[in-house]
Amino acid sequence: MNFLSLVGMELKKIRRSKIFLILLIPVIMMWIPSIINVDMNFDLRGIPITPENNFFIQGFMGMVWFMIPASLVICTVLLNQTERSNKGILKMLSLPISTTTLCLAKFTVLLILAAVQMVMSIVAYYICAAIVSHIQDYNFILEPLYVCKNVCSIYAAAIPMAAVYLAVSTLIQSPIFSVGIGLASIVPSVLIINTKIWFAYPMSYPFYLIMVAYGRAAEGVYETQIAWLPWLPVAVGITILALAVSCVRYGASERR
Amino acid sequence: MNIIETQDLTKTYGDFTAVSHLNLHIRKGSVYGFLGPNGAGKSTTMKMFLGLTQPTEGRFHIDGKTYPSDRVSILKEVGSFIEAPAFYGNLTGEENLEIIRKILGLPKNCVDDALKLVGLTEFRKRLARKYSLGMKQRLGLAGALIGRPPILILDEPTNGLDPVGIHEIRTLIRSLPQKYDCTVLVSSHLLAEVELMADDIGILNHGHLLFEGTMEELKISARAAGFPTDNLEDTFLAMIDEDNHRRGGTV
Amino acid sequence: MSLLIESKKLKRTGYLPAFLAGGFLAAVFPVVYMMVKSEEMTVLSGNPINLLMAANWQMMAMLNILISICGACMMYHTEYADNGMQKMSVLPIRQGNMFFGKFLIATLVLSIMVVIEMAVLVGCAKYWFPNYVFDLTEILKTTGFQIVIMLPTVMLMLVIASACKNMWVSLGIGVIFVFTLSIFPNDVLSLFPFASPYQILSVAMENSRSTLFLAVCGIETVVFGIAEVLYLKLRRCFE
Repeated sequence: MNFLSLVGMELKKIRRSKIFLILLIPVIMMWIPSIINVDMNFDLRGIPITPENNFFIQGFMGMVWFMIPASLVICTVLLNQTERSNKGILKMLSLPISTTTLCLAKFTVLLILAAVQMVMSIVAYYICAAIVSHIQDYNFILEPLYVCKNVCSIYAAAIPMAAVYLAVSTLIQSPIFSVGIGLASIVPSVLIINTKIWFAYPMSYPFYLIMVAYGRAAEGVYETQIAWLPWLPVAVGITILALAVSCVRYGASERR
Repeated sequence: MNIIETQDLTKTYGDFTAVSHLNLHIRKGSVYGFLGPNGAGKSTTMKMFLGLTQPTEGRFHIDGKTYPSDRVSILKEVGSFIEAPAFYGNLTGEENLEIIRKILGLPKNCVDDALKLVGLTEFRKRLARKYSLGMKQRLGLAGALIGRPPILILDEPTNGLDPVGIHEIRTLIRSLPQKYDCTVLVSSHLLAEVELMADDIGILNHGHLLFEGTMEELKISARAAGFPTDNLEDTFLAMIDEDNHRRGGTV
Repeated sequence: MSLLIESKKLKRTGYLPAFLAGGFLAAVFPVVYMMVKSEEMTVLSGNPINLLMAANWQMMAMLNILISICGACMMYHTEYADNGMQKMSVLPIRQGNMFFGKFLIATLVLSIMVVIEMAVLVGCAKYWFPNYVFDLTEILKTTGFQIVIMLPTVMLMLVIASACKNMWVSLGIGVIFVFTLSIFPNDVLSLFPFASPYQILSVAMENSRSTLFLAVCGIETVVFGIAEVLYLKLRRCFE
């Protein structure tokens, strides 16, 4: 069977798992504080940034730093748990299908879920921006092209991280441990983003991009140019390595 | 002609030998009863056939093919049912089968067919995790029977079923070779059950094959060895007991 | 008694190793931080421990919270996963005792974690700040304070985990709490679980809020404990 219908099948497996709710809650939680604290956007503390840009970047900062990685962690573990909890994976392994394809289909599903969350966050942003514009009588709405471009680049930067989390949840059987490791790995990205080796740590990629966007919107806060080298090759390398590991180890413990 | 054959098939986990130098011969178009107490190595052997675990030593052929080089083509011919509940709890019975059907590339009506075979048609819209133990068992069987594969590997398929269900499933398994010309390897720990279903039997204890042959041959060899033969369950128990004693004596 | 049983239940779940690993991971932060920024840090005036805490405690506390969440989920997952809880509820033991046994264990391992972290902080201070004078009472006070302000979080998380049969729900609630309270900079909210652990003793003392924190966190812990007992009584009636 072809890859596309396999992906469709994987999507079917997560029916009734409430995964979309899991993706939606953080998106909503992220914007509630922004609406409540909207007047803080006018208190710029000397940073040369417009309130509307500040609103956008501060809102997405929390999302990028914590919520995207956390959602990815939960999604990967949930995807693997649906296979393991009732031994569905055992059935899959005894069907004529290669484990590599199966694993790549899982990864595709993960990327689709992440994309859905990105769309949700764009919609949430516009709804919130409209609400605060109405309350404050100040136009907080940025042009769609700018917003979409930033969100898309954040999404692309999250792909290596997704591959790494997939590898972690494939390698570590106990769900609570893979979640624990995933969540713990989020915390240091604040520290690592300010060091010279940030490009070696996939969890900080989206955060880096939003910081660059911040730097562009407010002069002197952060760098304004994306340092493509050595970032790009390292990111590609990490992604391929993580995917290779997950493909090789996929279902390995069920086939002892 | 033998459709499944093993040569010195062995599986060890650390210093524990689950299966030891097994030589099985399963004739095409027969029902082969694989008999042994719990932990005798039946499931391990079946898992090796399905590539779910690697043999430590020895080889096996299924329809002239071998693992791991022909893994996918073996699996295409084999319908399997191992370690009872293997399904997705958040999906309905029908959806679970639909997934298997798609992977096997079978036509749409196969799902209905499989559901009907095991008698789950009226529960097909229910979530699999809400199934009773017997229904889960039937769902697993449906997943093995779907598409009517030429070889069936069933690990204790009547576990957890009520007497009526056990009878139904036994009759179904018994009828399969004539109906669609397939070979069935079915394991059990009850000789009486195997007697009702199987043409040939293999008796396994502690990973060793104690006997292989037809029911008649079993009776003859049991009589020759001085085991009771009027009740088959006693024959089986005496064989296992004797083997355990011999094993205990040598260690 | 119940403490022994509860700790036995955690055998082979990797509970203790997880906390130890978490403690060491959190302890790595100040070391890495000092390796990167030692020049900027050593010229600052003030108590080295306080400087190190100010620079790193946010992250270390977050890690402590996350691991406590995972720990609470793990404890109750072993109960619910294979219906262990069902068996427990037909045995002649008090459900409340079971809960407090779990709370004691969680507190104990958390304390071990904080002690490891403090030890590493002292080590960093000794290594990078030549004129640092080791003061045991000060360290003990800080350690005690940091443990006490974590207690409401630990207690509340156990309450949540005991209420949700599905581990994912409790985990999700925990993670969302961590996130929401960590981006809400607010003086009042900082007294509540999931936010209070970010406080640092020296800062609280400057604002003369240390007694307030200790009192509020103590009360919160007790209140959540009572709430759990009431909840268990109620659940018994409805199940």
